[in-house]
Parts: sequence; C-alpha cells; structure tokens
Amino acid sequence: MKNQDTSDRFEELEAGRILGDLDPNEIKDWKMLSANPSNQADLLLELAAAALDAEFLTSEDTVLPEELLKKLHGGISEFVSAEPKETVIVRPASWQGLLASSKTAWSIAALFAVLFIAKSFVEKTPIGPDDRIVTAPEKSSPSEARDTLISKAGDLIKSEFGGTEKYNQMSGTVVWSDALQEGYMSLTNLPANDPDTRQYQLWIVDPDRDEKPVDGGVFDISASDGTAIIPIRNPLVVTNPQAFVITLEQPGGVVVSKQEVVVALAKTS
Amino acid sequence: MTDRSQEALDSMVLLRVAQGDERAMEQCITKFGPLVWSIAKRHVQDHSALEDIVQEAFTDLWKSAKRYNPAIATESTFVGLLARRRAIDFARKESRRPQLEPLPDADSLPHASIESSATLRCESEDVRAALKELPEETQQIFSLHFDEGMTHPEIVEKTGLPLGTVKTRLRRGLIDLRNKFRRLDSGQSPSNP
Repeated sequence: MKNQDTSDRFEELEAGRILGDLDPNEIKDWKMLSANPSNQADLLLELAAAALDAEFLTSEDTVLPEELLKKLHGGISEFVSAEPKETVIVRPASWQGLLASSKTAWSIAALFAVLFIAKSFVEKTPIGPDDRIVTAPEKSSPSEARDTLISKAGDLIKSEFGGTEKYNQMSGTVVWSDALQEGYMSLTNLPANDPDTRQYQLWIVDPDRDEKPVDGGVFDISASDGTAIIPIRNPLVVTNPQAFVITLEQPGGVVVSKQEVVVALAKTS
Repeated sequence: MTDRSQEALDSMVLLRVAQGDERAMEQCITKFGPLVWSIAKRHVQDHSALEDIVQEAFTDLWKSAKRYNPAIATESTFVGLLARRRAIDFARKESRRPQLEPLPDADSLPHASIESSATLRCESEDVRAALKELPEETQQIFSLHFDEGMTHPEIVEKTGLPLGTVKTRLRRGLIDLRNKFRRLDSGQSPSNP
C-alpha cells in the first residue's frame, strides 16, 4: 500500500475509533497502522466529534436524574481530596540513557523515534488543579524577566543548546525553574524564519510527565534579532525536564512533531 | 459584581475549576451535567453504568481542567471530548468478545493529547455552517446519528443503506467536517479547498 493510501486508511480507521464503530478486522488494521510513528491519534478529529455532540445534545431538554445530581455534588469533596496518581510508562532511567548520547541529529531523531513508537499516548492524570492555565500578565521585557528569574529561582536549571548539522552556527542557553514553572531561551545565530511559512517550536522532554515532549510554544526569529530571548510557554506543569528541543514546524506549530527539521537540543543532565 | 462580569466569570468555569475552585466545579456539574449524561446515554444502555460514566467523566474533568485551553476548543467541546472518551471506552470494553481481537485497555488507548498547538474553537453557528456544507446524504446520516442518536443498525433500517455505506459516510463526513472546522478556525470559508 502506498504511503498516501496508508495514511488515508489510518485516517478513516481513526474516525471509526472516535465514532466507536471499528469491527474486529478494522481493529487489527488500526493496531497495525498505529504502530507506524507517522500515524498519530488525531485530536482535531476527536474535537470535531465532540463539537457535534455538544451542538446536538446541549440543545436537548435533558435533566440529570436527581439521585445522580446529588451524588455528583456530594462527591466534589472526594474529587478535591483524591490522591494524585501518575502513570509513568517510560522510566526516567531509560530517558537518561537516551539523553546521555551525543548531541547529533541521530540522537535527537532516536529520542523522538522512541517517543513516537511508544503506542500509548494516554492522557496522564495531572497532580491536581492549579493555576497554570491563568497566565499572569508579563510585566517586563523577556530579557528583564529572564534576569529576574535567574536571580530569584533557587532551583534554576541552565543548559546549553547545540545546533544540528544545518544549524551548527547557532548557540544558546535555556534557563528553567521547576518551582516557578518559568523559563527562557537565549538564542544566537538562529536563522530568521518567515512566520507565514514556518515557525520554530520548542518541546520539553519530561519523562515524569509524559512520554511525548510537552509543547513549549512557537516562536519567531527576525533578521534583526542578535540574541533573542524567548519565554517558554508551557501550558502544562513540567517537573523533570531532561531536554529542550527546538524544531521547525508549520505556522502555529503542531500537536506532535514529525521531527522533520530538528534545529537544536539542550540536555539538562 | 456586575452582571457582565458575572457572565464573563461563568463563561470561564473550567478555568476556575483548573484553579481548584470547588464552587466552579458545582457550576460545571450543573452546566455540563446534561451534556455528559446525553453523551453517555448515546453509547451505553445500562443505567448504573451510565451513572458511573458520568461520575468518572466529571472526575476526569476535575483532574484535566488545567489542560483546558480556551484557544483550542470551547468549554462544551472540551467536556464533550472527555465524556465521549469515557463512554466509548466503556462501550468498547463491554462489546469485547474472547474470539475478537481486543483493543488495548482503555487506560492505554492512544487518545491524542488534549494540550495541543492545534485549535478547533468552533462556536455553535460555525458547526451549523460547516454541517450545511456537507453533501446532503452525509447531512442526513449525521442528523440520524448525532441528532437523533440512532445506532448504525437503526440507520441501516431507516435508510435501507448497507452498513458499510453508513459507516463510510459517517467516517468520511467526520473527516470532511474536521477539515471544514480547521479552515473556519483559520479564518477561511469552510467551502474553500
């Protein structure tokens, strides 16, 4: 089967999985195709189905059974006091082994390959609600904010970026604080990008959080940038960053990088 | 507090849940309980299982609210996503037979990550507009499935179409709709190629 045919077939099976109507043979096909790292679970497809449900079912005059409503309201204190549970599928030790290899494109590719070959993309149960969603307004320039972070963070991690073959002229550092959930990249000699065509995207590798790298935000480099200070915009709590990886992606970034253009890597251990 | 600011606060109920606001969780149950219940009912018949699924979906919501990003999806779509996952995982488990090739356990299903750079923030009118762009036969099947809640065999009986055609139209229709939503979200007309 040609690549496009395979991709189309997987997309159709993904739609079936989301609709819940795969038959046993299709399940076999889906399992086989999903082992291919290029075939990824499709959040947009799932959101489309959820948007349809929300559209059609919200308008219904539906009332929850009284008993269930009581149970739900009565159970809120249980939600609040529920013990966090974290399922770590890839152990930190194995990540450290991976990350101990050289800073070549191959090692980066190997890192991503492991991430994508892993079949389980299950949502990790978060530790509990916190205030990460609500971002405080930025009060100072990135450069000032970075300096402030460096001066006040007691757990500062600092690491050097190394560019891959095509980007070996670049240099940079990343600073990060787990406690403050704040970090900045300082990047020099990174080629300017055309935001309408490609954007840089940061990924944070945190094996304690997920086997996939966490999106650290997209950013642009303009021709006039000497050394650019880029704030890390992590929507999720990161507690054990092992590496920071910069890729070049489509405008707006991607959900899961195909690591077609890996630009640079900074390892923290 | 003014009505407008109260309204704005109400519209951010998930963000407040993400901050651990128990009162917001109560509002969330009141606001989205019927949606979660309706979605669960679409996939599961057993009443006690239904109640479990609704409770589990709200537990998921409490735990996952901090992953909600208003730029990615509306609150109801996000809640719908969590409810669908719970309900479909349950239905899939229930339908397993020993002679069939099993799917992975629900806990290891490869759901896409909720945190994402992709967006699909379609409001109600966008959904309606995109639906109207679908071929009429697809619209009809979507209406039977999503609006009237018919199962595939019920749609087969109602329309006389083969089961394979029903499945294909639903799946391709969903893919087509996703593409239209994506174009809408990027500011283009849904009918643009």
